[in-house]
Amino acid sequence: MASTSGRQLKAMLRKDIVMELRTKEMIMSMGLYSLLTMVVYFVALSQAGSTFDPRDIAAGLLWLAFIFTSMLGLNRSLVHEKDQGCLEALLLSPVDRPVIFFAKAGGNLIFLLAVEALTLPVFGFLFLQGTQLDWSSIALLPLILIAGSTGMAGVGTLLATMSVNTSGKDFVLAMLFIPLMYPLLLGAVTATGGAIVGGVQGVEVFWTGMAWVLGYDVIMLLASYGLYEFIVGA
Amino acid sequence: MNEGQTQPLALEIRDLTRAFGVRKALDGIDIELPKGAFLSIFGPNGAGKTTLVKVLTTLLNPTSGSAHVLGRDVVVDAVELRTHIGLISHSPLLYPDLTAEENLLFFADMYGVEKPHVRVSELLEAVELDHRKLDLTRNFSRGMLQRLSIARALLHRPEVLFLDEPYSGLDPHAMDILDGLIAQIRGDHTFVMISHDLDKGLELCSHALILARGRVVLYEPREAIDDAAFRQTYRSTVGMGVS
Repeated sequence: MASTSGRQLKAMLRKDIVMELRTKEMIMSMGLYSLLTMVVYFVALSQAGSTFDPRDIAAGLLWLAFIFTSMLGLNRSLVHEKDQGCLEALLLSPVDRPVIFFAKAGGNLIFLLAVEALTLPVFGFLFLQGTQLDWSSIALLPLILIAGSTGMAGVGTLLATMSVNTSGKDFVLAMLFIPLMYPLLLGAVTATGGAIVGGVQGVEVFWTGMAWVLGYDVIMLLASYGLYEFIVGA
Repeated sequence: MNEGQTQPLALEIRDLTRAFGVRKALDGIDIELPKGAFLSIFGPNGAGKTTLVKVLTTLLNPTSGSAHVLGRDVVVDAVELRTHIGLISHSPLLYPDLTAEENLLFFADMYGVEKPHVRVSELLEAVELDHRKLDLTRNFSRGMLQRLSIARALLHRPEVLFLDEPYSGLDPHAMDILDGLIAQIRGDHTFVMISHDLDKGLELCSHALILARGRVVLYEPREAIDDAAFRQTYRSTVGMGVS
């Protein structure tokens, strides 16, 4: 049974990646949106002078961009499945509904991480150039990006499944997603801020935020896993 | 299957109801269909035909009552049941950004089909699409999509095949292919087909069902049906509208 689910999960992930590499719809729209957000931040903050340390607000800016960018991709990932009744075909196959959830969330996570990997160097170049950074703590950043993005992809996939059949799906997703992201955002910004500021204290703050995000991931992924069957069957 | 039943049943539906809010799309359906039969379902738009097929294919849960397909409960044994059933819908149920071959290989993976490449080639040939197997289905005509959809539904050799208006939008050539495939596998498969085409439905069926407002208006084996009386009953139900 586990090998069957594993095979199905791999097939769904592979299918999503092949389709995305072919159309580049999600990566292009998310990537461009994220980069444009960085440019807007840069223009807006260039008027603020040099009276503040960009490291103090860097984490918040980054996660704000990631949250909004992820919403753009989440809706598209399910719209693909709705095209020509593909979701119905998927639901007709002998696959446990949670496997569909993990495959869709896994695909969304991969695309989100790809966009984040593209955004981070641009962000560093625009905002952290010339700033003294503790590279040993900066090396922790991938951990919080993966943990935070896992929560976003998991909860987002569940909510996108709920909203894909509604008439105002973008609005419905935003209304449900942003409030549910609040606890994750708190932990992710705390951890990212700790990693950027660095030092012993910064690393301590990082792990506090990281624990918060991991706790959120476990709770929300378990809840999504439990609810997915009900939501796709409703 | 019922105690003492001589013929194994493909469908056993008892007092099946499916409601959407206060509206009952299916209201107390009772049907038994033997294995190997061909059931044609007729009825006006909104009669509950598609809802019935969705319940039987495990896409929708019943609100009350029970439905068994090949002796398996559509709710409790849903995952296992899905390996024994196939659906050809009026929507192709295919990914437009995958090629014909990739679509079939993907679904072969989902169903755990043995020797998937061999099976996929065999079916692409059967539906006369082997020469287009590397083309994205986004570029296929309606008839080609429907032929590929037939191949997708037959991939895992289902015992019961559900057909939701399978002939709609097909060109005569695609119709012939579908007719040929049905004739080829008819002996060892059970078919449940929704149709608005009385002639086609009656020509193929061994059992006919007319639904209106979610209820059974008529359910009889083909040999018990008087065509003129059947058409009259059908015409009178069309005016009954939605459930």
